[in-house]
Amino acid sequence: MPFDPDPKVITFKRVLYWILLLLIFSIITVIANYVGYKHPMGEALIGMFILSGITLVGLLMERLLPYQISNIIYISIIGCILALPFVPTSGFVTYYVSKVDLISIVTVFLAYVGIGIGRDWKDFKRIGWRGVIVTIFVISGTYICSATVAQIVLVLTGAI
Amino acid sequence: MRVISAKKDQPHEHAFREKTDKQIKKPWREYKLHITVLIISIISMSIGVQKIYLSKTVSIVLMPLLYAMIIGLILYLAKPIKFVGKKQSKMAEGAMLVFIGPLLAKLAVASGQSLYVLAQVGPALILQELGNLGTIFFALPIALLLGFKRESIGMTSSICREPNLGIIIDKYGFKSPEAKGVLAVFVIGTMIGTIYISFLASVCASVLPLHPYAFAMASGIGSASMNAAAISPLVYMYPNMANTLLAFAGFSNLLSFCFGIYASIFLGIPLTEYLYKHLEPIIGRNVPDVLSSISLSSKDTSTTESSEEKSLGDD
Repeated sequence: MPFDPDPKVITFKRVLYWILLLLIFSIITVIANYVGYKHPMGEALIGMFILSGITLVGLLMERLLPYQISNIIYISIIGCILALPFVPTSGFVTYYVSKVDLISIVTVFLAYVGIGIGRDWKDFKRIGWRGVIVTIFVISGTYICSATVAQIVLVLTGAI
Repeated sequence: MRVISAKKDQPHEHAFREKTDKQIKKPWREYKLHITVLIISIISMSIGVQKIYLSKTVSIVLMPLLYAMIIGLILYLAKPIKFVGKKQSKMAEGAMLVFIGPLLAKLAVASGQSLYVLAQVGPALILQELGNLGTIFFALPIALLLGFKRESIGMTSSICREPNLGIIIDKYGFKSPEAKGVLAVFVIGTMIGTIYISFLASVCASVLPLHPYAFAMASGIGSASMNAAAISPLVYMYPNMANTLLAFAGFSNLLSFCFGIYASIFLGIPLTEYLYKHLEPIIGRNVPDVLSSISLSSKDTSTTESSEEKSLGDD
């Protein structure tokens, strides 16, 4: 059966693949989370299902809504709204999501990233050490300057 | 505004979606990949966080996420096991775009939960976005001293993640030296950025006399994996502030996602052009091999395009 090439069309199969991937990711993360933090697996799994649900809705909105907005924005906004202190879902969402540590999610995520970026290695080597030095200054520059500005404004506004 | 609308209509955006859709076809087929990732994750989490003291006060915090990424990369490159090959790498890459979701959702939940705290520090959160321009002052002189010419504008006007790629390619053209520059830093950033920023965050937190809140806000640079890698050492170092730190980091990253391209178009690129015009005659060098060292676009475009598309899933 040919795979539908139009990315705007949502097929049942495509959604099924997303759900399966999210399920696999949730299970691996919950195990990693248990190994690292000994959080009870059942509660963490509910937490991961909440996060996966938000992701699924974000992915669907990106494809179904007529706006040129990335799923990254939808996912962030839905997650924010569900956890707002005055929204009824807040207690439930924040309790279970807090059982999944960020570090567990990132660790599993970056294991996939490590395998996924392996094919870029040749490009990386071709660019050479000069590019590496500039990149290091690019990242350091934005990080240190942002932190300095934040610190100055935090002190000036009396927030810290 | 023309720049932005043009960027949106770029065909590669949908081509990329289509490619991701193809890559995540039948995820159960690559069950060995998922088992491999599970084992990598268990090993990484068992090693846990390691704190290495460089001196009495300066320390580096090594996070499980670093081990996971490095083990994954080694598994692919050294090929000690047969079943992590090109096919699995493609699946992993396609899956990254889906898996970024729970990561972002986790940070978003922390932000929503801490709404009142976020409101208190609103000015700092917004103004620190301007700090992203710091990359120009730090990196442009270095790029010029190393002998880069127009490439340096692409390399240093922004953090060189996906939206910036679009802007530079749109403004200067795919074959331009500026586009070569932005692609070069993009590829290197994909490879070492996550690992480097995690080191940087842990060293800065122990060396610079700034509040953890300031570092948390700074970690939002418009790349989800770098964001998470930068905030993780801080969460480990200040566990009682964990949720607030996550909220600041996540929200600041969201701001970067939303407004980063505007800052780049209206401030970053003009500022880089201006500084280039004045600095290049003074400290510019003629290094013979520098152009061939970033020969990305001298390859056939399809390879470059695919390397660009490939890594889009990272963020």
